[in-house]
Amino acid sequence: MIALRGLCVRTGTGHLAVRDVDLTIQAGQRLGVVGESGSGKTMLALSMMGMVPDGLQVEGQVLVDGHSIAAEDERAWRSHRARSVAMIFQEPMAALNPLVRVGDTIAEPLRRHLGLSRRDARARALNLLEETGIPQARRRLDQYPHELSGGQRQRVLIALALACDPQLLIADEPTTALDAQVALRITDLLVRLSQERRMGLLFISHDLAAVSRTTSDIMVMYGGDVVERGRTASVLSAPEHPYTRGLLAARPSLMTRSRRLPTIPGTVPQLNALAAGCRFAGRCARELPICASRRPPLSPTETGQAACHLLGAQA
Amino acid sequence: MTARLPANILIGAVLVALVAGAAVLSAVWTPYPYAAIDVANKFAAPSATHWLGTDQLGRDLVSQLMAAAGNSMTVAVVAVGIGCSVGTVLGLLAAARGGWVEEIIMRLSDLGFAFPALLFAIMLAAAFGPSLSMVVIAIAFINIPTFARVSRAAANQIWRREYVFAARAAGMSSFAISRDHVLPNIAAPVIVQATIEFAVAILVEAALSYLGLGAQPPAPSWGRMLAEAQTLMYLAPQLAIWPGMCIVTAVLGFGLLGDGLRDISDPRLARQRSA
Amino acid sequence: MSDPVLSVQAVTRRYGLPRRNLFAAAPVLTAVDNVSFDLAAGQTLGVVGESGSGKSTLARMVMGFERPDSGRILFQGQDIHRLATGDLQQARRRFQMVFQDPFGSLDPRRRVGWSIAEPLRAMGETDTDAQVAEALEQVGLRAGHARSFPHEFSGGQRQRIAIARAIITRPALLVADEAVSALDVSVQAQILNLLMDIQDDLGLAILFISHDLAVVSCVCDTLLVMQGGQVLESGEVSGILQDPGHDYTRTLLSAARLGVS
Repeated sequence: MIALRGLCVRTGTGHLAVRDVDLTIQAGQRLGVVGESGSGKTMLALSMMGMVPDGLQVEGQVLVDGHSIAAEDERAWRSHRARSVAMIFQEPMAALNPLVRVGDTIAEPLRRHLGLSRRDARARALNLLEETGIPQARRRLDQYPHELSGGQRQRVLIALALACDPQLLIADEPTTALDAQVALRITDLLVRLSQERRMGLLFISHDLAAVSRTTSDIMVMYGGDVVERGRTASVLSAPEHPYTRGLLAARPSLMTRSRRLPTIPGTVPQLNALAAGCRFAGRCARELPICASRRPPLSPTETGQAACHLLGAQA
Repeated sequence: MTARLPANILIGAVLVALVAGAAVLSAVWTPYPYAAIDVANKFAAPSATHWLGTDQLGRDLVSQLMAAAGNSMTVAVVAVGIGCSVGTVLGLLAAARGGWVEEIIMRLSDLGFAFPALLFAIMLAAAFGPSLSMVVIAIAFINIPTFARVSRAAANQIWRREYVFAARAAGMSSFAISRDHVLPNIAAPVIVQATIEFAVAILVEAALSYLGLGAQPPAPSWGRMLAEAQTLMYLAPQLAIWPGMCIVTAVLGFGLLGDGLRDISDPRLARQRSA
Repeated sequence: MSDPVLSVQAVTRRYGLPRRNLFAAAPVLTAVDNVSFDLAAGQTLGVVGESGSGKSTLARMVMGFERPDSGRILFQGQDIHRLATGDLQQARRRFQMVFQDPFGSLDPRRRVGWSIAEPLRAMGETDTDAQVAEALEQVGLRAGHARSFPHEFSGGQRQRIAIARAIITRPALLVADEAVSALDVSVQAQILNLLMDIQDDLGLAILFISHDLAVVSCVCDTLLVMQGGQVLESGEVSGILQDPGHDYTRTLLSAARLGVS
């Protein structure tokens, strides 16, 4: 239903913040995108919304139900954003107008895009809020954002995102600003909504535990490239790409009993310092001579696909 | 997109440079001594010898305007300088100490705000006789609460930053933190305020001199020139127009510059404007 | 066991909240409620809790930024809240702090060498260059970095700089308030390892405050789980992980767990 074909995001200086990503999200599919800062995961999400910041250039195709949306066709993007895709963000307070009651915030797109009357829009807003499991939904309609807790605000944003019945919900670090207990409930809610509505979910996070709870498929990004993808459970239990392995090892876990964690040497390089070949070259412990210059293609692994020259070398 | 200075800063800077240039120049050179009377040549029309003509006593208009610019700027620099330093120190103290110290400083500055500047200057003039020093004192005094307020608000924000906590954790005294961290980081809003207060100071000086409470003859002042030209309005309107233009130029210049500086130092405001 | 470096004894801190209306009594929030613990040299105590659990208030009281309403905080046997201002400033040489935000804890207008030397200047030392260079190298940076400004560094490097500042006076206690929470996973591991290296070198005690149970369980010897200002449970890390005594701890555990074996 929503697909990317050879998507690139090019910065003003000509560097690629997202390099050549192919991606398809089916109805009801829950896809996790994992990566550290600078991995291009947020740019990928914004390009699916047609909201890449000025000065960046999108190349490749965004297909909605098989139809490509031209980068410059702002009207098509607006209708795409109104009907087929919605997004929620890390900081729910920043995404809500502090002067508008919650009910009016949710009713606004209902009236504008679906042409509902004031009364119908309010009733529908109440339904949506109830669907997100917010306690005392009717009372919330007349409250302002500052009267709600962080988790409740995130639920309001989810209700707002659901207003026009999107095919795809993009959630960019939706649990990062929330406490663990609340985060658990929000990820449960996202899973339930995706299943009940047969809605695609693109769940972007750096938190591997949250991704493992929420998604069925996973895509690991580094420096703008997809380095590994597959079923979430299998990729996280048997990672193939050295970066995925390093990331999983470096993550403190309840099992870690030594006082030192394995680390990935170095830091995420700036875009202009990335290798032309494999983006991970230079930090990779198992680097081959070919890595810095030739980009490894995504090739099949036991658990999915990974882009690494080692895969070919072993075979 | 290249970064471009907003138009109000450019125009403001040009106007300010014009006035300040004239003021500085007047200290070393004017076409004629500004008080030189030449009765034979009174009400002279603009000419190569007297660019803007002469007044009712035959004094050269350009020379008077330039000398007046010097006076006006001196008053503004000294008065705003005193008001700014005292006010900023009080504001820093209020933010650093908090509690009753802050309460007292802020209530006193409320009191200062309630006092109209002109009224205060008239009181001073009545008590101590009119003079430019009284004008300076009056303007400095009314500036103190303004700067105390601006610097306290900005300083309170800086005091909540983690690097200030880090400095406290390091064992720095609140005086050292105010000096090393707070002051450099609140300089921008204070400078913006000073530029705006400059415009106000020039206007107040002109007003007081116009009322006869500021510069005394023969000390040149745009306000006093305006007052003297008033009776001759129909005979020689240019004598009122030129000092008036100078006041407008100076006030507008500093006002635009201050506004523009505030816009670029507060990106939130800049975005609202462009939206 | 030797005398603890830090001994927190029945500490309580309350805040007055704004009144709801003119006639109601102002409500009181008990941010920290009767908390006690000891921390010995070379040991790491983790404080786990979420926003509003009181863990940051606790950190601020240990650092002497805030006074407890009741209870005592003894640092090397001295009640830091009974010291005179000057004595407290002198005592600060021996307990330092690393903050959460690597972008906020360094003054953007100061070269990092200047910031790192701040604790030394506070003690009246003027010749600090050699010590700054040593501290930078100790945290894995180069002496030449002292001349750069904070914006020239990545988040992980800045946190290294903040650690360099905290250890330059060879403190006996380091308070780390969410010190790795804002960092990427791969950088977080580097910084955690660095803290452990420094602890082994200097033998300092670390009070490690975090919302992330996985991180805390990696680096800490003992653990304090806080909620709503109260200590829900405390003890050895391994014991709590194996047999959590509280539902809330179990929730934290499941939030930190990867959903795969």
